[in-house]
Amino acid sequence: MKRLLSLIFLFTYTGTAAQQVQLDINHVVGGLPMQLKTATYSNTAGDTFNITLFRYYLSNFSFSDATGKTVAAEKGYFLVSEDSIPSRKLVLQQCPKGRYTQLHFMIGVDSVLNFSGPQSGALDPMYGMFWTWNSGYIMAKLEGNSPSSRLPNHMIQFHIGGYRAPHVTQRMVTLTLPEPLVVGQGKTPHLSLEADVATWFDGAYKVIFTQLAGFMAPGTAADRIADNYQHMFSVKKIVNQ
Amino acid sequence: MTRKVIYLLCAFCLWYWLMGEDRDALTAHAPVVEYYQLKIPDSLPPPVYNFKNNPLTKEGIALGRHLFYDPKLSVDSSISCGFCHQQFAGFGHYDHALSHGVLGRTGNRSVPTLFNLIWQKDFMWDGGVNHLDIQPLTPITDENEMGMDLRALIDRLQGNQTYKKLFKAAYGSEEVTSERMFKALSQFMATMLSFESKYDSVMRREPGVTFTAEEQGGYRTFMQKCASCHKPPLFTDYSLRNNGLPYLPSMNDVGRMRITNNTADYLKFKVPSLRNVLVSSPYMHDGRFFDIFQVFDMYDHGQEKGNTIDPLVKNGIPLNPKEQRQLYMFLNTLTDKKFIKNQDFSEILITD
Repeated sequence: MKRLLSLIFLFTYTGTAAQQVQLDINHVVGGLPMQLKTATYSNTAGDTFNITLFRYYLSNFSFSDATGKTVAAEKGYFLVSEDSIPSRKLVLQQCPKGRYTQLHFMIGVDSVLNFSGPQSGALDPMYGMFWTWNSGYIMAKLEGNSPSSRLPNHMIQFHIGGYRAPHVTQRMVTLTLPEPLVVGQGKTPHLSLEADVATWFDGAYKVIFTQLAGFMAPGTAADRIADNYQHMFSVKKIVNQ
Repeated sequence: MTRKVIYLLCAFCLWYWLMGEDRDALTAHAPVVEYYQLKIPDSLPPPVYNFKNNPLTKEGIALGRHLFYDPKLSVDSSISCGFCHQQFAGFGHYDHALSHGVLGRTGNRSVPTLFNLIWQKDFMWDGGVNHLDIQPLTPITDENEMGMDLRALIDRLQGNQTYKKLFKAAYGSEEVTSERMFKALSQFMATMLSFESKYDSVMRREPGVTFTAEEQGGYRTFMQKCASCHKPPLFTDYSLRNNGLPYLPSMNDVGRMRITNNTADYLKFKVPSLRNVLVSSPYMHDGRFFDIFQVFDMYDHGQEKGNTIDPLVKNGIPLNPKEQRQLYMFLNTLTDKKFIKNQDFSEILITD
């Protein structure tokens, strides 16, 4: 029975494989590889810090071709976490065939799912990415320590969320691809992205840990940090095969 | 002969395959359930709860009730939902100003009553929780209440034989997920309807049931002075307002402002339903009043009139002793004895 199921699965798998796009994400801090707990980084304000946790949601993937036509991949929610290698390898399902020049996605979880009750899969509240006192998803989370922080144990703690106007933290990302991504029969293209955490603190809105070492509610600081990290991704490599 | 044996063997294999252990996996999503029809009086507005996403079943409600009364939902298996939400107090916490929790801890607000929840859009005294299904997440994980990690709880329930049976009956497989658990709790809570008070009988013109003169007087006062916020038939409009209750520095509870970061929401709290009010003392978000007459006095002459006080009560609500007495008699008609004694909601003893 199990063998039969796996056979059926194998057939279905090869049937749809052509329409998958694989995506892997690598995390860096100001160009240096991210190493939880052990590595020390600094922001432009001169604060040194380390990172103990880095985790965020990605969703709503779509592609545009040179004519500007945009098509969506199958709806999916991905919880990406530095401490989990599998979570940094995403497989986008049901991608329509085409030659694409841009990739679009959302950092965060659609507004409607923030007030629709409990969800399963990556959106299960047991992953600690859902606020209990003020319902809604934490779109992105970064924790660590910095000698500049005046919080207990010199921690830095940024839980970015909020889905209700005026404090909305979902951000759409558009990445222009260095060469076209080809989705077609018998091909599973592979995209390598990099996310640079330095953008969280060194974007248009400067975060200085002596002044702001944590933010864990919907609000203006969260909105501005989301504006910053909207620019954290870049495309490193495309393999069409 | 050999051919016959082969046929028989094949038939046996087929039968074995069909009856095999994998069969559960195939039928997992088709549980045999008995759907449950909620009886809602015609005079009520349609519920805001969407039953399409969580249809009520006898098995789902039974699972929800088991979860509601199970102390295993707390970190040290000491406190169930029903510990604080007592049926005889309209599922509030009788005689307790502030909520109690595991390891002798105390919360900072009073336990709200539970009934007619399917008309409520947001929950908690500050409206911070936005869906009935997600509401139990807060008390379960709050360190001053049940103090439980959600993932650890799912593992704990998954390892329990009784829950294997209950989840299978409700959902077709033994798998415990947080979504299944929350939805079952909602199913049980959705059935907690309270529309069988004397007030309801009078409104429905049931033969032989009338208000006494005192109750009638109280009803008149109520409709004049209280009903715009405590709006019948639910006896709340579910809004968040500053009713003029003085701020207590020792509690430093800013109310709705904590959720919205908006100073216009300073000291705003949810208007509670007044159904079953006389059995569910103490009153206010911090349970500071143990007697309903203290509440009357507050509206009559004890308000603190800050910037955000609600326009409807900013001039106070004058209530003379006669009005207060009659109001008390009227509020007494909102106690639903059938509800607080309904065996379908009563505590079940869970020992495993």
